[in-house]
Amino acid sequence: MSSVTIRLRVNGRSYEVQTEPQRTLLEVVREDLRLTGAKEGCGTGECGACSMIVNGRLITSCLMLAPEADGADIITIEGLAQDGRLHPLQQAFIDHGAVQCGFCIPAMILAGKALLDANPHPTEAEIRRAIAGTLCRCTGYAKIVEAIAAVTEAP
Amino acid sequence: MAEYLQVGRPAPRVEGPAKVTGQTVYADDIQLSHMLHAKVLRSPLAHARIKRIDTSRAQALEGVEAVVTAADLPPVAREDESPGAMPSNRAEILLAADEVVFAGQPVAAVLASDPSVAEEALDLIEVEYEELPAVLDPLEAMKEDAPPARGPVSDIDRSETQAHAAVDVEEERAQTASNVASQMRLTRGDVEQGFAEADVVVERTWRTPMVHQAYIEPHISLADYHPATGTLTVWTGTQGQFFVRDELSKLFRIPETKVRVVGTELGGGFGGKVLLTQPLAAALAIVAKRPVKLVMSRSEDLTAGNPAPSCVVQLKTGMKRDGALTALQGRIIYESGAFPGSPIVIGALLLGGYYRFPHLDIQALDVMTNKVPQGAYRAPGVPQVTFAIENHMDMMARELGLDPLEVRLQNAVQEGDPMANERPYPRIGFKQCLEAIGENDIWRSRGKVREAQGKRRGVGLAAGGWLSGRQPASAIVKLNEDGTFGVVTGSNDITGTNTTFAQIAAEELRQPLETVSILTADTATAPFAGITGGSKAVYTVGRAVKAAAEDARGQLLAIAAQLLEVSPDDLELACGQVQVKGTPDWSVPLKGIARASTDFGGRYPPVVGRGTISAHKHHPGFSVQVAEVEVDPETGKVTVLRWATAQDVGFAINPLSIAGQMEGATAQGLGMGLFEEMLFDDQGRLLNPSLLDCHIPTAADVPPIETIILEVPSEEGPYGARGVGEPPVVAGSAVIANAIYDALGARVSEVPITPERILRALGKVRE
Repeated sequence: MSSVTIRLRVNGRSYEVQTEPQRTLLEVVREDLRLTGAKEGCGTGECGACSMIVNGRLITSCLMLAPEADGADIITIEGLAQDGRLHPLQQAFIDHGAVQCGFCIPAMILAGKALLDANPHPTEAEIRRAIAGTLCRCTGYAKIVEAIAAVTEAP
Repeated sequence: MAEYLQVGRPAPRVEGPAKVTGQTVYADDIQLSHMLHAKVLRSPLAHARIKRIDTSRAQALEGVEAVVTAADLPPVAREDESPGAMPSNRAEILLAADEVVFAGQPVAAVLASDPSVAEEALDLIEVEYEELPAVLDPLEAMKEDAPPARGPVSDIDRSETQAHAAVDVEEERAQTASNVASQMRLTRGDVEQGFAEADVVVERTWRTPMVHQAYIEPHISLADYHPATGTLTVWTGTQGQFFVRDELSKLFRIPETKVRVVGTELGGGFGGKVLLTQPLAAALAIVAKRPVKLVMSRSEDLTAGNPAPSCVVQLKTGMKRDGALTALQGRIIYESGAFPGSPIVIGALLLGGYYRFPHLDIQALDVMTNKVPQGAYRAPGVPQVTFAIENHMDMMARELGLDPLEVRLQNAVQEGDPMANERPYPRIGFKQCLEAIGENDIWRSRGKVREAQGKRRGVGLAAGGWLSGRQPASAIVKLNEDGTFGVVTGSNDITGTNTTFAQIAAEELRQPLETVSILTADTATAPFAGITGGSKAVYTVGRAVKAAAEDARGQLLAIAAQLLEVSPDDLELACGQVQVKGTPDWSVPLKGIARASTDFGGRYPPVVGRGTISAHKHHPGFSVQVAEVEVDPETGKVTVLRWATAQDVGFAINPLSIAGQMEGATAQGLGMGLFEEMLFDDQGRLLNPSLLDCHIPTAADVPPIETIILEVPSEEGPYGARGVGEPPVVAGSAVIANAIYDALGARVSEVPITPERILRALGKVRE
């Protein structure tokens, strides 16, 4: 299969990538850009561990073909901390004990960010719905919900 | 009580910043140069003989480096070399040679630089099978005329089970070819007499399905073998890197000096991630003479992982009018799948181990079928039997008009009471957990709201316990050149044990937490630690860290005594220094001691504390939980409104991570009760190999969970800590069942308690 050239803007930086067209955005970001914060937990869009924010929307990058993302503006977990300062959600996840094995956490934090970008003061039910597409097996979601809620309460 | 500086306080994860920024390296994040990707062809049949494998078309595909079948693999050593015996240890069959015994068993592997090429080549391998009769139901498998799931098995290797829970009970292995691989029996008194004395006798059969640990990171291993030196290195997500090293060394007859296992950060385990992909990855690396990465896809992991066994419990219990228990007779049938080794001993001990039954008769059987082999899942075997006994306690109490909580309090075991194997319980906090739930608002307000908008509400409680594992452990605590400290263990952290270890070292050295680093080193560099499983990491490795820190403290005081020209007995550690007791100005900084013990020409030996321990005492942990549910009697849909989990943790070294364990385990118990089930078709193939179809709970399924941490000190754990991880998963499905009964007056004896099963129990749906 002939390869294609795509342009991605990831965490504010531009990349030009040669890839075979059937590869997913997740594969390109993890293997070619070596940004491995997004994880593959299922490859079928069920667990959400591969989530990225693409053009402002939370997507499961294992289901997006890389050429579909051509020209897109992408935020991965690596892009959240600025100048060595953690994003408030990242800090809240640590402070509230929301991190256990951590495999889902990059996606959870991005899910929280996508929610708060659209709805800065969600209810608990809205938080639960917003992260329901990202599976966590360690925490029972309690401290994750707490951590996101804590950021909404911050002035 | 001693005044603690670091332990007993909530401490955020030391590796938190790496985990929230995506910097943590899991096995799949590793790429080795010149690496090949392996993909595995798996048997589509539950039981068959392999007649022929033709790999020529796959070999010919461009980009394929090798297609490997059993014939190409290096010979594997077997524990039991007796002719005719099929290995009982699954690790000894890397690829099936002549017989496949479950759908999903590896048959061949393809190696290629491009994983998609390897995947494509799988379709080009031709395997001719001769189908053999498959046995797919454990009760059918036990019948005399049932077809054998497989040939006679060799001695059952229980090393991994033992690492989860060390218990002493004899079991009997089948001497002839039989699907009943082993069985055991525990008896006390005379159950017939007990039932004759009872005012109520409840008899019922309880069923729990195979469920998967469903860690979000699937199984992954990378292996690299250097023929010139004979060294094998494996990077893998495992709960027990030393166990993996030991198995690899035995299988490939490579001395442990030449096997190095690097346990990478683990994306969840829950008992299911000890040994699975490592032997095949290693064998393929030996064959290919290149590094190999073997990643299980999610559907492969669900199809061919090592889930919890299904279980049937036939239970009969009796109680007197005053609430006193009289007898328990039970038969536990675990479906171990195609390899033996289900947790019969643990199941039997806990079925009869929560309450004082004067008469007991418990039989437990390990029954093989042609399904995926079972493995450990958080408190292996115990949620299954607890579902049975905790329903019975409710049923008997209700029949006699007694309070379910009071009846439990009246009969709960306490220190000195015999376990089901007659050994006395050490100090435990079961009653304290019951009392805490008795005071909880969910329990106290039960019955106040019975109905809301056409839906029925109910409150149920249940208890659960775990005997907890023991294993020797060791740790190192060293003083760095700048006066800070480094802790090194070989214990694979999953959910926060390293933070707890850092707290322990900081406590013993009286230093701020941030001046202590913690490292899980690999098997070549770390002192020994056992599997992170059996709720024993903090209980054993934590004690070793404490001992190592105490050792380092002694060395620090000895050097400081010479520098200050005082007796070590007059000295104490304080922040950044060793000082004369109560005299901060008469001191020597730790940095000074570090320099004097490391610099060129230094007069003192480096400070390296060594902690080695063996664990002798059990540290059983109990958890009692209560939940309120709302059930729609028309649709059978259950909504869990709120949940409270009480647990005796001995001593909460890190209350933050303990609460996290309790919440996570509670959600898993809820999942077992309401949703989770591996479904098989009549050919033994998994019907729902996806996380959503196996239905692990989402954030929308789980209610707010209140955690109640109780501290009844263990006799041996650090600061009195006891095992934490497993007890809170045990009660969940029984909590759900009892709450649904309270709401509807209908009891469902099989989990998951789906809407369909509820409607059947209500008589609204008929066969």
